Amino acid sequence: MRYRVKHITEYLYSDSVSHCYNLAHMIPRSSLRQTCLHSDVKISPMAAHSSRREDYFGNQAYHFEIQRPHKKLVITATSDVETQEQSASVDLDLGITCAEAREQLAQSTRPDLLLSKEFILDSSMIRVNDELRDFATPSFEDDRPLLSATMELTRRIFKEFTYCPESTTIATPLADVLKNRKGVCQDFAHLQIGCLRALGFPAKYVSGYLETLPPPGKEKLVGADASHAWLSVYSPTEGWFEFDPTNNCLASEQHIITAWGRDFYDVTPLKGVIFGGGESPVLNVSVDVARV
Amino acid sequence: MQSQSASQFQLVEPSELTYQHSDTARDEVFDADGNPKPHWDKLLGSLKTMGPRAFNDRITKARRILRDDGATYNIYSNKASPSHTWGLDLVPSLISSEEWAQIEAGLLERAELFNLMLRDLYGPRDLIRQRVIPPEALFCHQGFLRACQGIQVPGEHELILHAVDLMRGEDGEMCVLTDRTQSPSGAGYALENRTVMSRVLPSLFRNSQVHRLASFFQQMRAKLTSLSPNQDQPRVVVLTPGAHNETYFEHAYFANYLGFHLVQSGDLVVRNGYVWMKALDGLSRVDVILRRVDDLFCDPVELRSDSQLGVANLLEVARAGRVVIANPLGSGLLENPIFLKYLPEISKELLGRELRLKSVENWWCGDPKDLQYVLAHLDSLVIKPIFRAPGRTSVYGGTLTKEELGELRQRILQRPMQYVAQPSLEAGLLPSYCHQQLAPRPSILRSFAVAGSGSYTVMPGGLTRVGVEESSFVISNQVGSQSKDTWIISSEPMDPAYQTDISDAAAPTRDADLISLPSRVVENLFWMGRYAERAEASLRLLRTVFMMLNGEEPISRACQRQLLETVTSVTATRPGFLNASEELIANPDEQLLRVVEDADLSGSVRSNLNAMLYCADESKELLSSDTLRVINDVRDALSELEASLSGGLAAAPEEALDPLVTALMALSGLAHESMVRDFGWRFMDIGRRLERSLQTTNIINNLVVPEAAPADQHILLESLLLSVEGLISYRRRYRARIGVQSTLDLVMMDTTNPRSLLHQLERLHQHIDKLPRAPEARHELSPEERTILQAETQVKLSLLTELNAREDGQRTQLQQTLANVSQALGGLSELISDKYFNHRETSRQLVSNSNWENN
Repeated sequence: MRYRVKHITEYLYSDSVSHCYNLAHMIPRSSLRQTCLHSDVKISPMAAHSSRREDYFGNQAYHFEIQRPHKKLVITATSDVETQEQSASVDLDLGITCAEAREQLAQSTRPDLLLSKEFILDSSMIRVNDELRDFATPSFEDDRPLLSATMELTRRIFKEFTYCPESTTIATPLADVLKNRKGVCQDFAHLQIGCLRALGFPAKYVSGYLETLPPPGKEKLVGADASHAWLSVYSPTEGWFEFDPTNNCLASEQHIITAWGRDFYDVTPLKGVIFGGGESPVLNVSVDVARV
Repeated sequence: MQSQSASQFQLVEPSELTYQHSDTARDEVFDADGNPKPHWDKLLGSLKTMGPRAFNDRITKARRILRDDGATYNIYSNKASPSHTWGLDLVPSLISSEEWAQIEAGLLERAELFNLMLRDLYGPRDLIRQRVIPPEALFCHQGFLRACQGIQVPGEHELILHAVDLMRGEDGEMCVLTDRTQSPSGAGYALENRTVMSRVLPSLFRNSQVHRLASFFQQMRAKLTSLSPNQDQPRVVVLTPGAHNETYFEHAYFANYLGFHLVQSGDLVVRNGYVWMKALDGLSRVDVILRRVDDLFCDPVELRSDSQLGVANLLEVARAGRVVIANPLGSGLLENPIFLKYLPEISKELLGRELRLKSVENWWCGDPKDLQYVLAHLDSLVIKPIFRAPGRTSVYGGTLTKEELGELRQRILQRPMQYVAQPSLEAGLLPSYCHQQLAPRPSILRSFAVAGSGSYTVMPGGLTRVGVEESSFVISNQVGSQSKDTWIISSEPMDPAYQTDISDAAAPTRDADLISLPSRVVENLFWMGRYAERAEASLRLLRTVFMMLNGEEPISRACQRQLLETVTSVTATRPGFLNASEELIANPDEQLLRVVEDADLSGSVRSNLNAMLYCADESKELLSSDTLRVINDVRDALSELEASLSGGLAAAPEEALDPLVTALMALSGLAHESMVRDFGWRFMDIGRRLERSLQTTNIINNLVVPEAAPADQHILLESLLLSVEGLISYRRRYRARIGVQSTLDLVMMDTTNPRSLLHQLERLHQHIDKLPRAPEARHELSPEERTILQAETQVKLSLLTELNAREDGQRTQLQQTLANVSQALGGLSELISDKYFNHRETSRQLVSNSNWENN
């Protein structure tokens, strides 16, 4: 599928910002199932300097500095992306079992497998604990295929947790999410990653967009699409597979990847420092995913 | 306590200084048969003949030099007085050049290896792909900063500086305890130790055939300069976290010695993809940064976002190669002690051989076998967190109770990868001077290597530190350990080419840089001038008031009130004596004492002097050693103040203030006589003149504007003359009863009087004419010029008879004139700070003393 994604981020400050430095992860990366054909970032007011690079995880990182006073910052990222289905969506019940996967992870000497172990370890926002392990264990019987078990975990999170946009901030500790049984897509992704890591399986955080389809007979609203987050798990023989616990599915053609990392912190859409700006800036984000 | 123990020892004081060994196997001085090793002969012989008495004299001299050089080490846990004079034990550590050759070769090899590791771990990570190290060993360490992937450093080496802590093991061989790779400290202290040793023990040093240190620092300067991406006159700066850092002395010392600017985070800014230093004349591009700030704190955009010590976007400029940082950001990764476990294999992989210099044995709890071993031997091992951070320190299991061991076990089991364990080692013993004799103390040596063309250069020597007790386990300056100079003793006379004296390697001229001082430094000099003058003016006034209150002629209550109100007004210590009760006016001692010495009373003499000392610390690298000595005198006088005022104000309190006035006079005299007339000096003098003008205006306003009874008037005028140093000139000139017009003439208008108001204004005018400014085609005056001209003209055009004219008990014309001058001066101060000083928007005030500014 070919999409044009328009992602507009707007900050309104109560006081003038004299200058600022920012790092954005807003340009879709390329991956096995996705090619970014074209992308363009516009900053208002105009940036004094900007640069773009590929970061440690292979994501597109966009840096800019603004050196003129402003009370409103607008970043418009427009990208043309071509996506495909994941190859595994055919049959989750084939493939290696959980026990075999564990065995391979412990024994194998393949470089890609060794490097995937980075995604088993704790990261700044995801720390493994017994509660996560206990929650996940029932789905991962030794002789069950790993991907089927992961899908089962995805389904359980979808069923047992309530999607509740007001319930969390970015920094919700996993323990709270687990206890309150509610959260947003970031929390569910973090939760499932934590579960997988607790059992020793590499898992990474994927940020991106999801194309939403209008109700039958209605016109699609511009800007109604949202930033989204899901996760990817590593199977020692089959590679990385993306699951979406918020929607109880494997990531599909409609899942457009921006960036991946160990958790949200690695791929924050926009971070940086500002000088001035006053109290509590207002943030508005609008995303529009259109087929082209 | 001290005098008591000294007298005790006098009875038994030996005339010789000799060293007895207690544990031959560990002692570095003696061989297996208990005889001193040959390279120790000369030193032990000299110490023996010198004896404790002469040695004590050298110690006193050394302390004085260290103090005058401002050599301090800040101990974080001691909030009341964090700054300690650097502790140097004058008995050096000796290593024969034969042995050193071995150690040096080992250190060179190790630096090369660490350089290759840095390149691989932030590059292809072949060490993981080839299964030399397990992936977790790298990925679980907080020092592995993924944002630092892709930084390139010009030249053959990525790792510019490498320091190593070494200890002599039980077999007598040197063994590596830790590596320091992000911003190794200590080389500057080693240099200071050497400088002091060569001054206090000159003949011993000269005759001992000691390898010199200068070439190491030359190499360091050359290497740093060569890193510049911009070949034309590269600008290298030393980035310090600031005056409160534990090793700030070293940062200033380094910057000065190598001829680089010392900057703090607020002095640097990223613009248009480059790093710039905010200087007096605008922004100057920075090419190379020798940083003394830890990795995580260097860039709030990509690393720790709450850091106030870094520069926003620094990392992106470094990745783009537009600035080079030494050591490169992310190099703290190599301090990961897990690597010690795998070092033999890493070395075989990257260098093709095992390392000559062995490292301390190391178990990593992330490895199941090691974990088992560690848990079984917890009470005999040292447990170390793999990442150094405040609150995460090593513990020796042997010192823990059963309960504590249980807690430690739990902590390890929760996050096993985060801990390593090492055997508890007994360090080699060195003779150290304590309590009038030489006693064995455990020691460790920090060595330093710097990259050069082709290979590394190792400092011939290093920083030796010794434990406080023979049985000390922790040797760290944070717990009060002493340091030693380290002498590599040549068995043959030194090649004259090596005999370069340290002073030959002194900094290159910085003439071109004089104007490019960081504006923060200039601002500190400006405030140093203002605070010094403010304290001096307060002291003079207080001294005068003490004399008047305790004088043989009793003064009227009204007059007493007026004098005391002047104190409050001039020192800005409201409410103080303003509208005070009769009782307070009659018994002012307690409040007056507070105005002198209450550090928490903003405006007191002590608070001003503390602020002045703070500014001096912040601009330390620009102050001469003479100036630093006088600043120490101020510090001394300040600490003695409490003792001399402890009896209250009963007996001649003015004399207690004399040492401070003298020290402050010496400071201003020194600035006048021996500071280079650069912009730093100019701003300090502007601060001084501005403050003196304000103070004089204020005193005149308080003492002369209200009309007083004739007897009182005489006392008030005399007080005015005394407090602005004018009484003697007045008497010489007028030989008459003191009159208002002639007094005002002397203190306001007489430009031959160096303390008169007009004299200050004229000097200010001269300074302002010489400040840097953008070339301007037009001829209109700048706002600063207009302001100073207004103030100056206001005074010049005054007529004494009009100033003396009274209306409803007030000299209104005088009052108006003084108010105009005062307002102009306040405006001038603001104009100067707006134009020349650097304003950090997020930053705090330099020194909080704000009620002055509203005065």
